[in-house]
Order: sequence, then C-alpha cells, then structure tokens
Amino acid sequence: MKTWQRSLLMLFGLLTVFGTTAYAQVPNAPTVEFPYTGNRTAVWIVAQLHILFAAFILGAPIFVVISEWLGYRKQDPRYDRLAKEVMKVTVILYSMTALTGGLFIFVLLATYPQFTTWLINHFFLIFAVIYPLLFIGETIVLYLYFYTWDAWKGDRKARHIALGVLLNIIGTVTLFVIDGPTSFMNTPAKAEGASIVEFIQTATLWDKVFNYSWLPLNLHRLVGNVTFGGFITGLIAAYMYMGAKDDKERAYYDWMGFVGNLIGVGALLFLPFMGYLLAYELCDYDASICPYMMADQLSMFFEMQGAMIGLIFLASNYYIWLSMKRIEGVERVRISVLTVMVMVALPFVMTYTWDRFPVPDPTSLAVLLPLVLLPVVFGRFIPFTVSSRAAIKVSFLMVIVGNAIWMTPHGFVATGAKLVEELELPGDWSFLALMPAKNSAAITLVFVTVVSYIIYNRAIKQGTIVWGKIDFASQFVLIFLAFSAIWTMGLMGAVRSLLRKYYHTYNLVPDFTAESFTPTLAYSAWWITGITLVFYIVVSFAILITLRASESKAHAHEDSPAPVGAK
Amino acid sequence: MNEQPSFIKNVVKKGIVGAVIGAVFFGAATALGFPPIFRYMFVAYAALGTVVFILLDAPALPTFGGIKAVVALLAFYLVLSVVYIGGASLWPQYDPEDEKGKIVKLLEAKRRASEQGKAEELLVRAKALSEKADSIMQRLQTLGGPTVAAPAAGGAKAGGAAPASGDIVALGKEQWELQECYNCHKLEGKGGKKRGPELDNIGNLLKPDEMKEKILDPRSWMAEGFEKEYEKKKMPDKYKELMEEKDVDALVAFLATLKNPAVNTPKPIKKK
Repeated sequence: MKTWQRSLLMLFGLLTVFGTTAYAQVPNAPTVEFPYTGNRTAVWIVAQLHILFAAFILGAPIFVVISEWLGYRKQDPRYDRLAKEVMKVTVILYSMTALTGGLFIFVLLATYPQFTTWLINHFFLIFAVIYPLLFIGETIVLYLYFYTWDAWKGDRKARHIALGVLLNIIGTVTLFVIDGPTSFMNTPAKAEGASIVEFIQTATLWDKVFNYSWLPLNLHRLVGNVTFGGFITGLIAAYMYMGAKDDKERAYYDWMGFVGNLIGVGALLFLPFMGYLLAYELCDYDASICPYMMADQLSMFFEMQGAMIGLIFLASNYYIWLSMKRIEGVERVRISVLTVMVMVALPFVMTYTWDRFPVPDPTSLAVLLPLVLLPVVFGRFIPFTVSSRAAIKVSFLMVIVGNAIWMTPHGFVATGAKLVEELELPGDWSFLALMPAKNSAAITLVFVTVVSYIIYNRAIKQGTIVWGKIDFASQFVLIFLAFSAIWTMGLMGAVRSLLRKYYHTYNLVPDFTAESFTPTLAYSAWWITGITLVFYIVVSFAILITLRASESKAHAHEDSPAPVGAK
Repeated sequence: MNEQPSFIKNVVKKGIVGAVIGAVFFGAATALGFPPIFRYMFVAYAALGTVVFILLDAPALPTFGGIKAVVALLAFYLVLSVVYIGGASLWPQYDPEDEKGKIVKLLEAKRRASEQGKAEELLVRAKALSEKADSIMQRLQTLGGPTVAAPAAGGAKAGGAAPASGDIVALGKEQWELQECYNCHKLEGKGGKKRGPELDNIGNLLKPDEMKEKILDPRSWMAEGFEKEYEKKKMPDKYKELMEEKDVDALVAFLATLKNPAVNTPKPIKKK
C-alpha cells in the first residue's frame, strides 16, 4: 500500500470520527437495527476488531524499539531486520486501526445514539481534543519513525531510536487516555455517602478517568498488548519460515519466531497477576460483580479462560521443547533435583499455605519466596541432578496439574442457583475451587515456564543452536499461540463488557434494549472465533503484501550483512 | 524409516500408561466421593497428559511449503475453530431466558423515568386508546346504538403479573431474588459465600426501620464477626439508587418475617 493510499485511509478514519461526533449532537437521532447480528453483537464485532488492531499497533512498537536498540548495541543486523519487518506490518495495521475505530464510533452512534451522546458529553475534552491530538501526533511520529529507518543509520541511529521511544510514549498515553471512558463504563466514579448520579454531575474529568478499574485496566492492557505483539511476531515468522526459499531465510525466521515467542511468553507470565488485580478492583468496587463473574452467569467463561491459558502455557513450553531439540550438546545440560522437587511441591504447598494465610497475609509470601528460591540458593550444594529433558517433562506434568487445579469448578453448572449435589465438588475438596488453589495454579504455571526457559538458556550457553533446523511442527505451535492469544483476548474482552450487566455504564445508564441479557458461552464462542478469523485474514494479508512482496528487495540488503551501526 | 514403528510403539506405550493413570484417577475419585462428572474430568486430564507426552516424543515433522503449506494452514485454522467453538459449547450454558424477565422488572422504574420509557409508555397508551376506540366503534355498528365499551384486550395485563398488593412479603422475597441478596447471604441453608451473615434470624435482631437503614446505608450497621467485610465495604452502597422505596419496604417486610432462632445470625452493631 502506498503512502497516499494509507493517508487516504487515515483521513477517512478521522473524518468518520469527527462526522459521527457531530452526528451525536443531533437530538433524538433514530436508532438502526442491524439484521441477523442485532445491535449489540454488531457493536461487539467492530469494537473487538478495533481493539485487536489497536493492541498490536500499541504493543508491537514497544519491543520494536527494544529490538532496534539491541541490534544497534550488539551490532547484530537480525534485530534491526526483525524490528523493521514488524514495523512494516504495524504501519498497515495502523490504517486498519483507524478504519475500524471510525467504524466503531459510527456503529455505536447508529445503534445507541442516546448513550453514545451521553458518554461523549461526559468525556468531551478527551473525545474532541485530547484523543484526536494524540492520534494525529502518533500518526506523524509513526510514519516519521518508519520512513526514516533507512535514512537515519550509523551516527543518526540513536536519534531514530529516540523517535521510537517517543512513539511508544504517545501510544501508551493514548491507551491510558482512552481507557478512561472504557473503565468508567465498568466502574463509574463514586464517592462514599454520595449518590452516584449526583456525584457524576459534579465530578471533574479527572474524577471520571481515575476510577477504580482505570489503573489495573491500563496495566492489564499494556502487558497484554506486548504479549499479543510478541505472539503476532511469532506468527509473522512462522508464515515467512513456511514460505522461505533457502536455509539462510529459514535460519533468520526460525530466530525471529524464537524471539517473538520469548517476548510473548515473557509478558504472558505477568498477565495472570494483572488480571487478578483488575478483577480485585472490580470486586472491590462492587462485591456483587464477583459472584456474577466467578459463580454465576459468567463462571463458565472463566472455565474456558482456564482451558485457554492452560493450552497457551502447554504450547509455549512445547515450543521450548522443540527448540531444545535443535541445540547440539543439549544432552550435557543438567539441573538440580531440588528444582524438580520444588516444581512438584509448589501447587500443593502453596494451596495449603494460602488456605491458612490468605493473600495479602505476608506469611504466605514468607513461604513462597524461600520455596522458589530454594533451588537457586542450595541447588549448587546438592550433588543430585537430572537431565534437562527429564526436568522439562516434569514441567509439562506440572502444567497439566496446575491447569487441572485452575479449571476445577465448584460445580458443573452455569449458575449457582442450579447447583445440585451430583454436579458439585464434595465438601472436603471444595478448597480446589477457591482462590488459594487458583493462585497456586497460576504460580505453578509461571514457575515451571520460567524453569523451562532457564534450562533453555543453559542449553544455549553449553551447546550450539542450529538455526533453521527446528522441527517444522514448531511453526504450527507459533501459529497456535497467536490464534489462542487472540481468542483469549476476545473472550476476556467480552467478559469485561458483560460485567456491566444490563447497563451501558454500570449502575448509571441502563440498557433498555431487549439484548441486555448475558449471552451463552457457545454463542459468544461463535462470534469470538469469527472475529479472530477475520483479524487473522487481515493480518495474513498484511504480512503477505508487506513482507513477501518486498522479499526480493530485502535480499539485496541481506547479502551484505554488515553491522547496522556501520551502515 | 525406523521412526514410524518407534512412534507407533511410543503411542501404544504412552496410551497404556495414560489409560492406567486414567483408571486410577477414576477409581480414586469414586472412592473419595466425587460425583461422576468430576471423575470424567480427571480422566480427561489423564487423556490430555497422554497426548502431551506422545507429542513430546513424536518424530520431527518434515519441512514443506507451497500449496501444501497453505492447505495445512487452512486445515489447522478449521480444526482450531471447531475445537474452540465445540469446547465452549460443551461447558454448561447459562440460559438467558432466566435473566430476561428479571431485567425487565429491575429496570422497570428506570425505564418509566427515562425519556425512552416515557415515549414508549405514550405509544402503549395511544395504542390501547386506539384499540378501545375501534372496539367501541365496532360495537356501535353491531348494536346500532351507543353502549358501554368492553375493556380492551390485554389492556388490564399490560402491567405484568404482579402479586396482589397485600402480599408485600411475596414482593419482598421477589426483591431478595432480583437483587441477588443470596449471593452473599445464606438463607435456609442456601446461597451465600461467607461475604455476608446468614439472615435466618434477622427478624429477631433488627427492627424494620433499622433493616431499611442498613440496606440504604450499608455503613450504618455491622454484623458481629464481619469486621473485615465491613472494613472492605463488601456490601455495595447502591441500593438507595437501584431500588424504589416500595421495593425496599417490601424487602424489609420479607426480612422481618425471618425469625428462626435455631440459626445463629450474628448480632448487628450500630456504627453510625
């Protein structure tokens, strides 16, 4: 896509935003009825697509600039190439973000004109001034960053990296700004003893933005975006690996896939805790949100989330397993038996501890920290070791155990009201469905994955990686990870929106339409899958037209792999 | 060439081990009193473990590209889509019908107060009047003279099937369900997750006015032994806005009937 075409697309997006904002000021604008999907699902589809594109264009530049910096510092051209290739895809998807963003506002105004007008009026400064300015600023810096890539080399590379940092600052501020109205819809600002309706009338813009779930949502989305960007980088690498014509290309894309997965998994390790933080704040805001989420209408959505998280952790560990197979000398790598013992003991010890000393009791931390640090401190003094293969096999076992604990429900029913004895956990085992057990499961998944990466790191140091010789199945693992990460984002996005129950803005603006009920998980899964596939089609197309088409040109540069700084 | 037989051997070996583990899980879960659904769940985990361990020792997939790769990718996406939709559909599904009537009742007052509600109410009234006028005209035409019009069909039922006005306790019980008080408070041994006290004997401990005060201002009273929950403001301070006064009165009337001294409802302590 040429620059003028991209600009046209962006202009269209902006015009739609401004046009629809103006339309919102028309009093009593009539609503439209979307055929087949209904209004709510129509908004859901467009909003989710917009968020997926936005997540990538905000998450990818974070590690793009880090990768560029690493390339500059290590004088390794692979990092620079990775950064530039991901940036090429980002630029295309940036246009799609603007387009779907405009479409989102348009659909929202057409379907829920009164509520949309109300929301815009409450956040007028953001929607009319701050957000458009940030968006324009980001557009300028993004294109400047991309188009100065080849021109700002050598001595001017630091300037280019600084531009990348600026892009990320603007992007992060944009995310935090738009999270204001989004989180406000879930947890509108309130003050103790005051009526929420009256308080909103007098509340400042900052009061509305700085609501209960704003900070946790910011953190959750920021980390989630990096995870998502990493897995999409893995997807790009997998596509390019499959289409590579020679061993040199395969070696590069094998490396790129590894880096993408490393970024994705590295950020993924923090996500369960960010999710907890968000859920904690939501429950703190209104305790009735908790049972709705965990025990009633949405409880099975969380079962599905547990299944997805388990699959993602299994797949990321499997990728490490396949990666280790192509390291020559990996059989020499051994690990302390203490590490394996801690991996096995962790879920059981921590379930017991957290049951006795619930979070945030520091006693539980006093048990957890020594336990996980035990292998680091005493490992070298214990002469017993196990092979890296055996240790990773134990880590797989513990991922399954951890996931089994995560997914064990209190009852196999969608709502507590329908719980009968034949579907309920026996009383003696009900602790398996409580938070101490779920926290232990999350810690176990994270710990064993970290151990797998430590083993891999040792294998790299003691052996030799044969890039490009990885098991071809690994490419499907990378694709699986990206697909599953997108699907999980869609699922959790639906959960966050549904937490507003039959309100547009929780407890403040009711949704009087006939669609304000909680949909079934099966219905949601159909749409989440559909949205994921549409996103995949667009991303696949973007990868093909940006990277495959320019492959021949790129070859000319790759033939002379001089250090970036020297160019 | 030797990879294929050794892989089959691997599948058989792991399959047998997985089946044994699955059988042990099933037996142990039965002995420990787990309902059948949980026993199957444990067997499913054993099956998942078996698949994972078979994959770990599976022979390397040879590299392929071109049209074969495209077809493999499309098939892979199809499998993923089917598995995810199928997997989500296998979990118990919440029935939206359980919620729809409840939402209408909960939002009734707000709907009436809203612009949309006013417009809809006007439309309903206009429609009812129009039907009534048509009915009168028809009768006049049939009888050839003026007569008393029959009530419009459905007009009397427009308000829904509300309980009789005297049955305030039944209305209060309905509010208990609508506001989902059972999520935090146990009653007759049902509901509650230790977030709030059991209320079976609350009628003997609080006067109706005090109950009303607690509902409208959760900081006004604290249940003994629930200091932590009180400090964390577990009871939402929202009912003064979500409920109409008549609904609060009905809920209080229902709570006032709860006088079962056999249940140890904690003593309320005045805080404000």
